[in-house]
Amino acid sequence: MAPQVGSRRSMIVSLVLTICIAFGALAATLSLGWGPKLGLDLAGGLSAVYKPATPATKADMQEVQTILTNRVNGLGVSGATVNLQGKNVVVSVPGVKHARAVLAVVGETAQLLFRPVECQVTQATKTYKYTGTLPPCGSQYLMSAANLGVTPNNSLQGYSINSIAPDPKYAHVAFTRPADNLATKSVILPILGQRGVFYLLGPAQMTGASVSKAVAQQNTVGQWVVNYTLTAKGSPLWDSVAQANFHRLLAIELDGVIQSAPIIQPTQTSFTSFGGTGEISGSFTEASAKNLALAMTYGSLPVRLVPLTTQTVSPTLGHNALVAGLGAGLVGLALVLLYTILYYRALGLVIVLGLAVTAALLWAIISALGHTAFAPSFNLAGITGLIVSIGITVDSYIVYFERLKDEARAGRSMRTSVDRGFRSAWRTVLAADTVSLLAAVLLYLIAVGDVRGFAFFLGLSTIMDIAITWYFTRPIVILLGRRGSESTSMMSMAAGMNAGAVSE
Amino acid sequence: MSDVTTSEKTPGPLARLYQGLTTIDFVGRRKTWFTISAIIIVLGLGSLAIRGFNLGIDFKGGSSWTVLAPHSSVSSMTSAVERAGLTNPTVEKLGSSTYQVTDDINNLPTAQQALVTNKVVNAMAKEAGLPPYQVSTSNVGPTWGGQVTSKALEALIVFFIAVVAYISIRFEPKMALAAFIAMVHDLLVTVGVFSIFAFQITPDTVIAILTILGYSLYDTVVVFDRVRDNTNTVLKSGEMSYGEMVNLSMNQTLARSINTSLVAIMPVFSVLVVGAYILGATTLQSYGVALFVGLLSGAYSSIFIASPLLAWMKEREPRYQELAIRSAKRAEHRTLTPAAAAMMTSDGSSPRPNRVSASSLTGRSSSSAPIQARARKQKRR
Repeated sequence: MAPQVGSRRSMIVSLVLTICIAFGALAATLSLGWGPKLGLDLAGGLSAVYKPATPATKADMQEVQTILTNRVNGLGVSGATVNLQGKNVVVSVPGVKHARAVLAVVGETAQLLFRPVECQVTQATKTYKYTGTLPPCGSQYLMSAANLGVTPNNSLQGYSINSIAPDPKYAHVAFTRPADNLATKSVILPILGQRGVFYLLGPAQMTGASVSKAVAQQNTVGQWVVNYTLTAKGSPLWDSVAQANFHRLLAIELDGVIQSAPIIQPTQTSFTSFGGTGEISGSFTEASAKNLALAMTYGSLPVRLVPLTTQTVSPTLGHNALVAGLGAGLVGLALVLLYTILYYRALGLVIVLGLAVTAALLWAIISALGHTAFAPSFNLAGITGLIVSIGITVDSYIVYFERLKDEARAGRSMRTSVDRGFRSAWRTVLAADTVSLLAAVLLYLIAVGDVRGFAFFLGLSTIMDIAITWYFTRPIVILLGRRGSESTSMMSMAAGMNAGAVSE
Repeated sequence: MSDVTTSEKTPGPLARLYQGLTTIDFVGRRKTWFTISAIIIVLGLGSLAIRGFNLGIDFKGGSSWTVLAPHSSVSSMTSAVERAGLTNPTVEKLGSSTYQVTDDINNLPTAQQALVTNKVVNAMAKEAGLPPYQVSTSNVGPTWGGQVTSKALEALIVFFIAVVAYISIRFEPKMALAAFIAMVHDLLVTVGVFSIFAFQITPDTVIAILTILGYSLYDTVVVFDRVRDNTNTVLKSGEMSYGEMVNLSMNQTLARSINTSLVAIMPVFSVLVVGAYILGATTLQSYGVALFVGLLSGAYSSIFIASPLLAWMKEREPRYQELAIRSAKRAEHRTLTPAAAAMMTSDGSSPRPNRVSASSLTGRSSSSAPIQARARKQKRR
């Protein structure tokens, strides 16, 4: 006769252990108050994918990752993740309410450049793109030390200065677009907080890499300023740049916008060292000052980033999606359970119990994974993966039960049927689940974005299906089958199987 | 064990399925099945050639804004966003009270894009009477869709290769080929249906299609597993052609195939009806539609495409050609019920042949004797 698929004792142990582990884990998760880490499409929040504008090395991209992480954390939002996926950087901040404000800071390259101001230019209403190198400013419009004639005096301002008109030569030249804004080129850029004022700037003489730290503060008259500290290498560099531009305007540019264009030491007659610290004042609001400080502290990115896609989800719409996803899943599950009970009767109850064990274990695992950085967050794609896996999980039972019917039709006793049936069903379940797992692993490795989350949860539930089939379904059905051949409880099982032409 | 069946009465189709008494000729009528599929696929591809796809912004680039506004209307929302600076907006009402505005602003400079996006956010929030953060936004650059598509295609190709290799090793190459063709069938049907009904293609649709392919394959593998089993038992008795054996396997797994498909489709149907239409989560719609169409096609292709195709390919092999000729020489066409086959391969307790003939429903009274004979023959081996 067919060998048995395990001793009675070991099967009871396996069954009891599986049930204890599943519900124990669920109870532990619930008592710890853990829940799944919700994705942004369910919790609301923001997600953005950037790619480097120019080819970047792996080291560059890792630096980008670090800087973006610091920047997001610097904003004081929690649960943010910054990941590299291939050549792309993926930023996701679930649960953040004012997502667009966060996006404004995270998204910028924060390339901080110190450029000399050549002259002011007028912007005509109708402009065309200027191709090639910009022509030099006319000599009378040049903001040279000689033209400006900065003189320290005892006035309230502390100095006097000649006013220089904008150079009309550039009246029809559009300001430099981000793609053309290179540190080595002359550019025309707008200045923060002064509408319609544009400066023609020379090539950059220093970058934000020389700054070690910056803080936004209010000075004695309540104006927002940024105080900064330079690095050990940056300090002498800044001194030399500042000395070269003594009594001239030096523009501090952040991502194509001049943050401030101060005159270097206008109240002094001769240049003195900054000693590694300085203060930038301008037309700052609290937000723009903090933004500049953040950019100066966490540094500029080694490459300029181009947004591929940015998404913000309102918390209300996210919550609606969560309710709809869970609602759909529960209704679907109820339909499936109703059907299996109607079709398999007593054996249908085994499916119900089996799904309860699977669900308890899955919830515990997903919640626990929510506390690690490893697992993708639980989003709509993940919920869909789980809903699809209901079919795969229940199918393992169907394969087994249909085999049982076959065995019973062949006139075998319940005792032998459950053993033989399991062995052939187990092979089928393994073969089919391997295909499912193969799909999940490949998708996880290759695909981008939401597809990965989907693949992760599909793969997880497939592994779960294999485990539950072996550790739960096998012992419970075989034990029922062995007991049932004599006892009356088996009558219901037999009724559930209703095994065709079989009779003794 | 007591006899609880009603086998003395003539069972209806459902009872026959339940009791394993079906004798549907899946293999013999393959031309019918292949024609049905061919018509659907040709219609779909024709629509694809003429109308193409209704691509979402994730593939062609663009921006969209979504807000929950129970008291608004499409016309007032349109004028609100046009005042905010959109030149050619598409405004749709999704579900019961969700409005989605779509437009392509990728040709504007980056700074301008952010400005327009914020203006539209504020306009829509005002229209809905909500704070601006309640407006969902999505901006997709022109190159993102290309990346999503190429990555999905890459995954698809690697998946195809891995699956064909796996089935070739685990089962056999011809099964791999049949399963592969069934999978391509499902892909073409789903894609065609999406084009015919102009359903929007989003990355969620791509996920759903990948799922379908995995599921269709999973379904096919279960059927082929049974075919392989029968190759080692029923086929060795030498009295059945490969096609007849496949037919038997199909009938044997029919209850399982139908149950599994129902069990898989029920939750997906729930996603579509409860999630997307009743509860109004529009993102679930993309999943629901693709999964629903694909699962139907996948269930159909495992039964009506993959298996008849396998039988057709295998019967061209010399060793099975011989079997087919031998089988054809016999006057009667053999369509065994799963219940009868179970008895035939039984090596345990004694079957009751009179029961089999009474319930096999083929109407061929002579079928009881050979079944019993074969059963004995096999027992001797």
